[in-house]
Amino acid sequence: MLGICQIVPGPNIVNLAVCVGSRFAGVAGAFAAVLGLTLGPVALVILLGVLYEHYSYMPIVQGLLRGISAVGVGLIASTGFKMMRTELKYPPMLAVIILTVLAASYFHLGLGWVVLLTSPLAFLLAWKRVKG
Amino acid sequence: MISTLLSLFLKLSAFSVVAFGGINAILPALYDLSVNQEHWINSQTFGDYFAIAQAAPGPNLMTVTLIGWNVGGVLGAAVATLAIAWPSSIMIYFLQRTILNMQDKKKQLIIQYAAGALAVGLVLAAAWGIAVQINHSLAAHLLTIGTIAVTFFTRWHPLYLIIIGGVLGVLGFI
Repeated sequence: MLGICQIVPGPNIVNLAVCVGSRFAGVAGAFAAVLGLTLGPVALVILLGVLYEHYSYMPIVQGLLRGISAVGVGLIASTGFKMMRTELKYPPMLAVIILTVLAASYFHLGLGWVVLLTSPLAFLLAWKRVKG
Repeated sequence: MISTLLSLFLKLSAFSVVAFGGINAILPALYDLSVNQEHWINSQTFGDYFAIAQAAPGPNLMTVTLIGWNVGGVLGAAVATLAIAWPSSIMIYFLQRTILNMQDKKKQLIIQYAAGALAVGLVLAAAWGIAVQINHSLAAHLLTIGTIAVTFFTRWHPLYLIIIGGVLGVLGFI
C-alpha cells in the first residue's frame, strides 16, 4: 500500500492518509486522517511565514535559508536516486527516466506534456518487463 | 483577489493529478507558475519558502501552502493546500482498492513499474531544475552534491544535514 501511495500522483503523505484513513472509516476516515496530518504543520508553517516576513531582511536569516535550501535540493535528488534502484534491475527502463529528465529539464516542456509524452514508453517497457 | 485565488486553485489542482513522485516532482512547475508566470513571489522568496518547508516538520507540500499564504493570507494557504491535495486524494481513494484487489497481479506490476519510472524521472528532473534556480553559488551546488553523497554513504537523519546546511549558511559560506 505504501508503495502505491508513493508512485501515484499527488502529495505522498496525503495519499497515504487517504488510504489508511479510508480503511478504518471510509470517506470520513480519509478526511480525518488528512486533516489530522496537515492542520498542525499548516498552522506552524504559516507562523514561520509570518516570522519570515519580519526577519528575512537579516543577512543571517538569508544565509540560513540559502544553506537549508541547498541541502533540501540534495535530499530531493537522493530520494530520486534511491527510488531508481527498482529501475536499475531492468536497465531499459532508464530510457524513460532519461527521456523524462530531458523533456522537463532540457526542452522545458510543461508537466502535463512530459507525463503524456513519457507514459506510453513507460507502460510499454513495464509491460515488456512483466511479460519477459 | 477572488480571481487570483481561483487561478491559484485551478492551476494547483491541475498539478495535483500529474505529480507522479509527489510534491517534489512539481517544484519546477510551481516555480515557473508562481515566479515567472504569475509573479506572485520572486525567485529569492521561492527558495526561502522551499527552505522553510524543508526545515519545518510535516509534509513537503508546505512550499505550496506558503505560496498560497503569500498570495491570499490564511485563506490563500488553505486554498492552495486544498487544491494540491483534492484531485489526487479522490483518485487514490478510488484507485487503491482497484489496484490492490486486482486479480491479475501482472497488471498491478505493470502500473507500479510504469508509474515508478515516471516518478523517478520527474523527481530527478525537479531536483535539477530547482538546483539551477535556487543555488546561486558554487558553494551551494557543492553543498547539494555533498548532501547527495552523504545520503548515499551514511544513514544520517536528513535533519542533521539540514542543520549543517543552516549553520554553513549562517556562517556565510553558501
